[in-house]
Amino acid sequence: MDFLIHHMLRASAGRHPDKEALVHGDRRLTYGEVWNQVSSLAQGLRSAGLDRGDRIGIYVDATVEQALSIFAVARAGGVFVPINGVLFPEQVSHIARDCRMRALITSAPKLAAIAATLESMPSLEYLVVVGSEIPSGIHLPTHSFETLSTGPAPAEIFEPSIEKDLAAILYTSGSTGKPKGVMLSHAQVMAGSTIVSTYLGITQSERILAVLPFSFDAGLNQLMTAFQQGATIVLKPFVFAREIVTALHKERISGLAGVPTLWSLLAQPSSSLQKSTYPHLRYITNTGGAMPQDVLATLRRVLPTTKIFLMYGLTEAFRSTYLPPEELDRRPTSMGKAIPDTEILVLDENGRRCGPGEIGELVHRGPTVSMGYWGQPELTARVLRPNPFLPPELGDVEKVCYSGDLVQMDEDGFLYFIGRRDNMIKSSGFRISPTEVEEILFQSGNVQGAAVIGVPDAMLGQAVVAFVVLSEGTSLDPEALRVYCAEKMPQYMVPKSIEILDQLPKTSSGKVDYPALRRRQGI
Amino acid sequence: MPTDSIQPRIREFILNQFPLARKRAIGDGDPLLGHGILDSLGILEVVAFVEREFEITVADEELLPESFESIRSIARFVDEKRGREPGARTEGG
Repeated sequence: MDFLIHHMLRASAGRHPDKEALVHGDRRLTYGEVWNQVSSLAQGLRSAGLDRGDRIGIYVDATVEQALSIFAVARAGGVFVPINGVLFPEQVSHIARDCRMRALITSAPKLAAIAATLESMPSLEYLVVVGSEIPSGIHLPTHSFETLSTGPAPAEIFEPSIEKDLAAILYTSGSTGKPKGVMLSHAQVMAGSTIVSTYLGITQSERILAVLPFSFDAGLNQLMTAFQQGATIVLKPFVFAREIVTALHKERISGLAGVPTLWSLLAQPSSSLQKSTYPHLRYITNTGGAMPQDVLATLRRVLPTTKIFLMYGLTEAFRSTYLPPEELDRRPTSMGKAIPDTEILVLDENGRRCGPGEIGELVHRGPTVSMGYWGQPELTARVLRPNPFLPPELGDVEKVCYSGDLVQMDEDGFLYFIGRRDNMIKSSGFRISPTEVEEILFQSGNVQGAAVIGVPDAMLGQAVVAFVVLSEGTSLDPEALRVYCAEKMPQYMVPKSIEILDQLPKTSSGKVDYPALRRRQGI
Repeated sequence: MPTDSIQPRIREFILNQFPLARKRAIGDGDPLLGHGILDSLGILEVVAFVEREFEITVADEELLPESFESIRSIARFVDEKRGREPGARTEGG
């Protein structure tokens, strides 16, 4: 019986051990090889000290090692915490401290980048390092990834875990504060892959190109669906959009998932996507924000035989809605309907169901609703609440997810995204908390007021824009502040512009008036 | 516009547009890719800049990592493009 995420891999390896499973550059691994290396690494991690339930960070670029680590940590009984490779040492340190990470799997260059910050992660007891050049001055015990993953594969590993156990923590931002860890059980991750592979029709003949990071729910879901169905997943970190086009041909890719910014890149007039045809590309999916209509029109023209799925999901409920491709003509701006085995409710401020056309909050119920935020019971209670429509006799047995996203439903039950209930920003697929950016602006020591908003941007969805009030006696070029930000936060968070104001608009209760700032930008 | 004025203008653009480049005091030969300075969106901004500024058209198949490795290699790429494209202006501005 398959009830833990690595069981999906085990089953696929049992069905067809010689089938290609994982490709990165010149490296091609079969299911048998992946399963053996995952098993060896799991055994290695156990002998290195991994105990059941330990949080193990995975901070490497999109590589074979990253995929192996995810399944090996699960098989060893740990909880994997994928960390986006673009994050800076400060953010990595926050994640490590927040989840009391016991070990970190990383690469030699990434370790060098965070070496000076390791002291701020007191829970770390050991490191597993990909590559041989361990930077000097590392005081933690280090294990070689290569050594751990190439040992003899054990036939069996004692596995006391059950499907309700925590499998993964995905860090994501909200409208305030630092990133929070969304907890997903084995059952929730597996339900996500079963559901998505059902409506996308994924089978073992699929060849999936993975360009989204595995630290992102949709990216992780791609890896899980691929291994569950016995498909082939090709990892493709990219800088130039044409690298994706090249890979589509070279690897005969049948499925590709992207965020709106990726599709905007590919739909550029100069893009080589438009210069050939893709008969093997069966489907593409968009998530992480609405696809601009002109981009959608271009993709439909360039990919006439490819099914285009518009999807929506939030990490707290893993995956939520999709628009069946046959509805694209009639409702190109819709985010679709609930995914299988899921119900989407649209509720007004009083918790009553909205009628067609009324704006309300999207509330998700189903098997992918997460376990909440690690170490944040109050925040969790705000987002995951008892299902209000259950008869009282059932008690609070079911939690549903209040998304904070405002939507509208049409007469036929299709949903349309209206906006956020809070100030959270979404840029190039990333969720950004305005207060996290504001805090870093304050840390510069040069500002006494800071407010950050998202403004519409054709390429990014939203662009980050900051307003600051300088401290008394300070004169500062906004560019110098941007330089400061660029040093402290990953590029996607750095404000595209910083405007200096004499004062920030305030509400009657003395808080920053964000709507007034948005109006100022003509939004 | 003399060829040797291309590089300073590209340098000025990159140092202004990508604050991390300025912070790290990126030199003309220093790598821009894979070090968090230019990502796929950054490349687009650079391409839009050189197309506008030097009146060239960059095709997707010309977007090669080796052309965008450093400020110097971008300047060399622009210079070669201008040499090949008779329509490219020879006056600055």
